[in-house]
Amino acid sequence: MNIYQPHLMRIREITDETVDTRTLKLEFQDSGVAEQFCFSAGQFGEYSVFGEGESTFCIASPPTRTGYIECSFKASGKVTQAMRRLAVGDTVGFRGPYGNHFPIEEMKEHSVVFIAGGIGLAPVRCAILNVLDLRDQFKDVTIVYGARSVGDLVYKRELEEWAQRSDLKLCLAVDPGGETPDWKGLVARIPTAVEQTVTTTEDTFAIICGPPIMIKFTLPVLVKLGFPGERIFTTLENRMKCGLGKCGRCNIGPTYVCKDGPVFTAAQMRELPQEF
Amino acid sequence: MTRRFLSHEKFAALVAALLATNTRVIAPVRAKDDPAQFDYLPIQKFRDAEFGARLPRRSAKEYFLPATEVLLHYKQTKAGVEIREVPTEAPPQVILGATPCDVAGLEVVDKVMGWDYCDELWFGRRQATTIVSFLCNMMDATCFCTAVGLAPDSFRGSDVLLVPVAGGYLAHVITSKGEALLQGYVVEADAAALADAEAAQNEARQAVEHHLPAIPAEFPGWLAANFDNPVWKTIALRCHGCGACAAVCPTCHCFDIVDEHESVDSGVRRRNWDSCQTSLFTLHASGHNPRQSQSERFRQRIQHKFSIYPSRFGEILCTGCGRCSRSCPGGMDLPKLLGELMTLANPGPEARNP
Amino acid sequence: MSELNDLARKLLSECTVKVVIGYEEGSRGVRPAFITDPEQACKLVFDTRCVQNLAAYLNPRRKQITQLGKPAIVVKGCDARAVAGLIREQQITREGVVIIAMRCGGVLQRSETASELTSDTVSVRCAGCNDRDPKLFDHKLGELPPEPPVNPHRDEQIATLEKMTSAERWNFWTGELSRCIRCHACREACPMCFCVQCTADKTQPRWIDPSSTPPANRAWQTMRVLHQAGRCVDCLECERACPEHIPLGLLARHVANTMQRRFDYVASEDPSVAAPYGVFRPSDDEEFIR
Repeated sequence: MNIYQPHLMRIREITDETVDTRTLKLEFQDSGVAEQFCFSAGQFGEYSVFGEGESTFCIASPPTRTGYIECSFKASGKVTQAMRRLAVGDTVGFRGPYGNHFPIEEMKEHSVVFIAGGIGLAPVRCAILNVLDLRDQFKDVTIVYGARSVGDLVYKRELEEWAQRSDLKLCLAVDPGGETPDWKGLVARIPTAVEQTVTTTEDTFAIICGPPIMIKFTLPVLVKLGFPGERIFTTLENRMKCGLGKCGRCNIGPTYVCKDGPVFTAAQMRELPQEF
Repeated sequence: MTRRFLSHEKFAALVAALLATNTRVIAPVRAKDDPAQFDYLPIQKFRDAEFGARLPRRSAKEYFLPATEVLLHYKQTKAGVEIREVPTEAPPQVILGATPCDVAGLEVVDKVMGWDYCDELWFGRRQATTIVSFLCNMMDATCFCTAVGLAPDSFRGSDVLLVPVAGGYLAHVITSKGEALLQGYVVEADAAALADAEAAQNEARQAVEHHLPAIPAEFPGWLAANFDNPVWKTIALRCHGCGACAAVCPTCHCFDIVDEHESVDSGVRRRNWDSCQTSLFTLHASGHNPRQSQSERFRQRIQHKFSIYPSRFGEILCTGCGRCSRSCPGGMDLPKLLGELMTLANPGPEARNP
Repeated sequence: MSELNDLARKLLSECTVKVVIGYEEGSRGVRPAFITDPEQACKLVFDTRCVQNLAAYLNPRRKQITQLGKPAIVVKGCDARAVAGLIREQQITREGVVIIAMRCGGVLQRSETASELTSDTVSVRCAGCNDRDPKLFDHKLGELPPEPPVNPHRDEQIATLEKMTSAERWNFWTGELSRCIRCHACREACPMCFCVQCTADKTQPRWIDPSSTPPANRAWQTMRVLHQAGRCVDCLECERACPEHIPLGLLARHVANTMQRRFDYVASEDPSVAAPYGVFRPSDDEEFIR
């Protein structure tokens, strides 16, 4: 067994989140591996379709739920298109968990604001569910999630569950023009939604993920609200292959996204050369 | 480390013995397509090898990280997928007559190959290989090993360093592997051999020391701080982004991972040489490319070798062999560029106090 | 070479062009020069060491060069045919480049040292040259030197290959191409390989496997050379770039010979002359279609 050899997973369940985004629920074929497997929220893996190649996705399910992992992806390239053609019962490869993770431990006893846009909810969802599974160890929980249109919102099942909970504040938003006649949420872009929803930064962490342009315009809002750079966390993605620091592909200056990331603070991001 | 004497006869006998046991012996061999050039190739007879004639055109890294290698075999079955592992133990091999710049590169790359995750394929070959390097007297104006902290008689990465002296070689027996290899073939070295070797080694160092000054300790930091320096826009206009430099370099190790079908239901996952100089290297599936032109890609090459790798592993990712320059079809000259960058980093008293 | 230096200085100081792409002294012979400052125009040289075909630097994908502005380019007659090809295939416009063509009596096979042109030292590509007096130019400089000596080496190799049986040729090329590491340096150095996405890099579908294996290597090299049919100007940049020293020029030359025999076509210095792949004539040779 060498480090490039994946574990074999079986697809247990397939959920179509949107027209082009799908979630796979995977279980380890080897029960010994399944028993030993553990990870932290924010880590990623290399998922493979044998014969097509590997693709990098975060682990979208939380470490608090054992026996399976989930990944969500958009069918954009060779591997993801092939992944989309798989059925329940088919085999997928998995190497991981790789990378660093969200500061779940440090966030305990504090409040958390989760902000996500579009498919960016996938890595954040892992952290949200991790926190919700240990709800009483955290103070206030706020979730601001938006997408271009109602059709683009992912994890609709979870969104409904979160809307029912009284121990978190949920703000859903779609971009102007993306609402449906029966849309009950906000019609606004994420930066505006954040401004309207987040009232305090005291004792609070922010976790944000989404398209680069969303991050670009939301970070200043968070800074203006008073979040210090060390308490704003995001995940970066970059072109990856090995996922474990050897192939030389994912670095941004001296920082390897697969080893030093994919979770970074806004303060760390500011130090990075503009090459991502 | 001990010093011994290895006579010409004993050397030939040692190699013959290795070949008789079917150990793969790799040595510099005259190239068929160009008799003025040499390549590291397996030899069948001692006479096939020529030592100390010329730096082989390509580094020895392909014997540790092949241009393509299989990581696993897969087969689709009714029940799912079966994986057949590849062996991580390699058959024994000896590299004979390697230059110090080539073998030092192996030790430098060990650092990333062992970073948290142990690359068993690389280390399997490293462990299976005994390396006998030779004092280098083949330097040309493009060599700059001393600038990166090495030397024509560097021990780094080697098990034995042979220095030609009267009647044979002064053998620096560097590791226990080297000792095991030479057991029974070497004798005590006399004072004359020791003195001759020292003189030869000094002479070799002097022949290359003046090519490029030693890279100063502040240089990696200067490179990191000068990521946006306008010099990157003009320093590599002639670079094609062809990646020939990476192919011949002893320390370039970046790779790609691909799956390939061998039949309808089976195939392999391979690791292939790749280079940050190609336009596809950092291209996202979305079409976004963080390094959009050759300026940025060449900057990455310099930054990785002389700033990033040193900051992470304490090693310069370069051994000063000069192959990148010799092989470049576009006239890029790395040591010259380094010199220009070092001058930019430290302009000298006249410029600072005009 | 003051004629060239004067012209370059004039073009730059009058802002006719923003950069002159030519040759200057390098560490091992000459190297490509990108002169943007009229005061640096004196660096330009032209002699038998100027082997490299600089037309590749006109590729519109090379943003770091295109952003310098309108170029002038120093070319030999053979290189000018590559510039003509780029114009013909609409990668650059005729008005978008100032062509400084140099009358040429041949270049060296190895450009590291200046030495006399003899039948051993002259480049194999100079044999049979019809371009000593370039036909595509905005400015034509230099005296017309005598015809270069002929280096028969490559034509001899081609003749040997053509005498081989199919099986022998297959073995020859499988052997040579076994060294191909799929670095694609040949493609990057080639002036006529300017595709934004190369067929070999396509993943959906994957036409050619990317690894260095005999079938994939054969597919890659034959595909590339067939894509060059009628376009290749035989500059041998592919062979010079190859880190494994595969005699790619033999393949290129063979295809060029075939185009000449079957279509009476050589990559033309006239951009308005259509290349065989772009034109259908009822009289086209079709005997190879079975």
